[in-house]
Amino acid sequence: MRTSGLRPSLIFAILASLGFLVVVSWQSWAGNTVTLDSLLVATIAGLSVGSLYAISATGLVVVYTTTGTFNFAHGGIGVFSAFLYWELAENKDGIGLPRLFALILVVLVVAPAIGVFLDLILMRRLRTADLVVQLMVTVGLMVFLLTLTGQLWQADQARSVGFFWEGQGFFIGEFKVTWHRYMVIVVAAAIALLLRLLLYRTRIGVAMRAVVDNRELTALNGARPGMLSSFAWALGSSLAALAGILIAPEVQFSPANLNDVMLIAAIAAAALGQLRSLPLTVVGGLLIGLLQQHNAQWLSHGADWPFTRLAIAPIVLFLVVLALPQARLEVGRVATNLRPVERTTNWAEGAFGSVALIVVAIVLANGWLDFGVWDPGPWNQIALNNGIAAMVIALIGLSLVPLTGWAGQINFAPLAFAGFGAFLFLKLAGESGNALWIPVVGLLCAPLGAIVALFAARLSGLYLALLSLAFALLMAKLVYPHPKIFPTHTFADLSVGSYTLDSRYRFFLALIIVFAVMMFALVLLRRSRFGRRWVAMQDSQAAAATIGVNVILTKVIVYATSAALAGMAGVFWAISKNSIDSGRDFELLANFEIVLLMAAAGLAMPAAALFLSFRFVIEALGGRLDEAGSFGPLVWFLDSFLAKFGPGLLAIGMVVNQRGAVFEMGKGFAPLLPWRRDARRELALERERGRVREIGGLGLTEPFTGEALLEIDHELGVVDDITPAEGYRHAVHPEVADV
Amino acid sequence: MTTAAPLLELRGVRAGYGIIDVLHGVDLVLQPGEVLALLGPNGAGKSTTLAVASGQIEPSSGQLLIGGREVNGARPDALARSGVCLVPEGRGIFPNLTVTENLRMMTFAGTSLSAIQEKAYELFPRLEERRRQLAGTLSGGEQQMLAMARAMATDPALLMLDELSMGLAPIIVDELYSQVATLARTGLSILIVEQFAKTVLGVADTAAIMLHGRVTRTGRPDEIAEELTAAYLGIESGGHQ
Repeated sequence: MRTSGLRPSLIFAILASLGFLVVVSWQSWAGNTVTLDSLLVATIAGLSVGSLYAISATGLVVVYTTTGTFNFAHGGIGVFSAFLYWELAENKDGIGLPRLFALILVVLVVAPAIGVFLDLILMRRLRTADLVVQLMVTVGLMVFLLTLTGQLWQADQARSVGFFWEGQGFFIGEFKVTWHRYMVIVVAAAIALLLRLLLYRTRIGVAMRAVVDNRELTALNGARPGMLSSFAWALGSSLAALAGILIAPEVQFSPANLNDVMLIAAIAAAALGQLRSLPLTVVGGLLIGLLQQHNAQWLSHGADWPFTRLAIAPIVLFLVVLALPQARLEVGRVATNLRPVERTTNWAEGAFGSVALIVVAIVLANGWLDFGVWDPGPWNQIALNNGIAAMVIALIGLSLVPLTGWAGQINFAPLAFAGFGAFLFLKLAGESGNALWIPVVGLLCAPLGAIVALFAARLSGLYLALLSLAFALLMAKLVYPHPKIFPTHTFADLSVGSYTLDSRYRFFLALIIVFAVMMFALVLLRRSRFGRRWVAMQDSQAAAATIGVNVILTKVIVYATSAALAGMAGVFWAISKNSIDSGRDFELLANFEIVLLMAAAGLAMPAAALFLSFRFVIEALGGRLDEAGSFGPLVWFLDSFLAKFGPGLLAIGMVVNQRGAVFEMGKGFAPLLPWRRDARRELALERERGRVREIGGLGLTEPFTGEALLEIDHELGVVDDITPAEGYRHAVHPEVADV
Repeated sequence: MTTAAPLLELRGVRAGYGIIDVLHGVDLVLQPGEVLALLGPNGAGKSTTLAVASGQIEPSSGQLLIGGREVNGARPDALARSGVCLVPEGRGIFPNLTVTENLRMMTFAGTSLSAIQEKAYELFPRLEERRRQLAGTLSGGEQQMLAMARAMATDPALLMLDELSMGLAPIIVDELYSQVATLARTGLSILIVEQFAKTVLGVADTAAIMLHGRVTRTGRPDEIAEELTAAYLGIESGGHQ
């Protein structure tokens, strides 16, 4: 067995972490007296919370190692279960089940049922899907579950989940340790032990691990792979539910907060276990719990660092991902799917699209088509604001096209990059709004992208996604909330010389034009040698390297490009909002929504970024209909259902439509264009294929037609007369075979 | 020949991947107690035939019969539990499980772990020495022994071996085939797929040549041996079908 031993990067990471810890502790020492009792109590509290993280994280690891799916919805399942538990046991107006009974009911019945259900309808189809699709579907599921929980248990009343044993406990010196916390440690230890026994000492556990190695062989041995994956999902959901219910008393009980606490800590702990080692995962969970509690007990970071408590898990995640050995990274996940071949938009089509957008802007500007937009009624203001928000988000979405769509570098942190642009613009242009600074901001954002690229260069796939997640959280919880970054400020209207975009309407038109220009630039970029290299790199880094592509440099360039785009978009974003609310604007869910909608629309197509306007268009439409009256159910559908659940559902929908909605729409539309002979041929071929599945394993994306096969065979001399070999005939024309 | 139903029979089986059919009407019969060698060049459809016979690929037309019963569409795990044992091409083992855990996986077909261990360690003592080792860290020959242990220790009704010799030293191939011969003497029905025929024809009762997705010739091993060269060069023999 290969042992990794103490590699230089690991030693460096450990030393850097310790150094960081010492410096932070030195700087922020709160001055509390250290006694044995207080030390012990903080440690017990840390172990208790850490045990819950460990339970949650082991669930994540069990599902990942058994099914190959990294489940971002893990926290969401825990959150839903915790609220269900509240309804059953804690709700004063509810049915008031005994706590223990409700706990058992949710953890051992409802949660496993949810897990099996998810496996049957969603997760099994993801087994061979692209990693991006896999991640988007589970992130979409997470968003859906959080929205569902938020809708079922609206924030109109304060809820809390009580401790077991009513908060009674025992005393160490003057400090009380609750039985709840104490028992949580015992329960977690028991679960860790049982899981270990299950996975290594029972046949079903061994089979669960065997499926990861070789699913086909597992079936050939007589085990049922489908049942094994359902069992894993049931187990994972159960653990998520248990962790969610037991963590709930410790935190502010809201869906988003509980999810943040559970999911990020679980991911960080799982990453420490390299997503497969249960003992290390448990250690990771305990470590995070201890760091959090000791931080709270001994350190005080002052008002400038308001969210340090929430930053501990992301810091651990960040350091762990950086220190992981490279060779292990792809374990458990083999990409078996071929990405669809996408035709590259040519410059004429790109120009056509951009010009069309600009024409729309000109028509609107001159009032040639009167939508009543000059009329200052309330709806128009809403529509305009929604339009602006939509275009701004679309601009930010564009930054994902080269990075994720073409180069395959998953990025969950588009707003972190956008925020950097907003920050630079505030520093450079102050509150003047001089638009000439925007290109400079773009240029200055590029180095930030390059720095992230250097961290990301040795990572790929899932770990890259996790790194970007940690990056998004660190920027959101540590960097941006610092008052020096975004002091009290207001962004002025944009201006060039004496011309000022002094009305919202002008700003909106300017955004359309900026988007059109950027979209066209991206179309050209895709056709340039950079674009080709990025796509080649996504297909195969090794192959790209062997034909002379400098992979590291290529990555640096694509990250720099994306960061520049996002940074410039960030300027418009900041101006559209007048000021940045650093406590809320960089939330993880806001980042996720952009990435999810972009993926559901089609990451590889610049025009798909317009799809990000989805929610804003729906909301505006709902508002308009509401104003017009008598559309009650439709308004409810748009406002309460589609606008809220849409992003999550669309991403979940990727399970059936993996190429993205815009791609599919384009496919339907393309054959109508006179110059798209290729699209018509493709359509004809597809009709001939009928219901036949696409070929997965043969390395072909375009199946040969029966005629083509015959032609090849004839040329090779395999069939010597012209009469078709009936087998080949059969594949295409079953009726001929019977002749 | 016996009058009982053949243990394995393929009747006019067509199957493939997506639109491409690889098998264009395969007819194949394996009698109880018989050792059948299925030979043919790369891409002839040998492994696909085994995938059909083990339930991994469902025939698009034709019949798959095991013990005289049609089992089209049966799942591979169901067939495995009913005694069909396929040792797939390229080391049929789980590299990240230990040797013991690999043996435990074999218990799904109904034999107890202790019986499997006893038999496997008796036949391949080297496996016992390495029982705690991850299977992926064994040598190629040891891995193939571990894969063969499933065939030897679980007492299957039908054994199918795919390219047993691939990538192994000749001396190890000989050792493995002597085990196959031992199995054959117990009356087990075996279907062996090989690209290189020399060793396998020594243990086979019957041999068949497969070309372009069809079984083109079936006969005694010595007859088949003569025609093989021509078959591998892509010249279809005009022999009786």
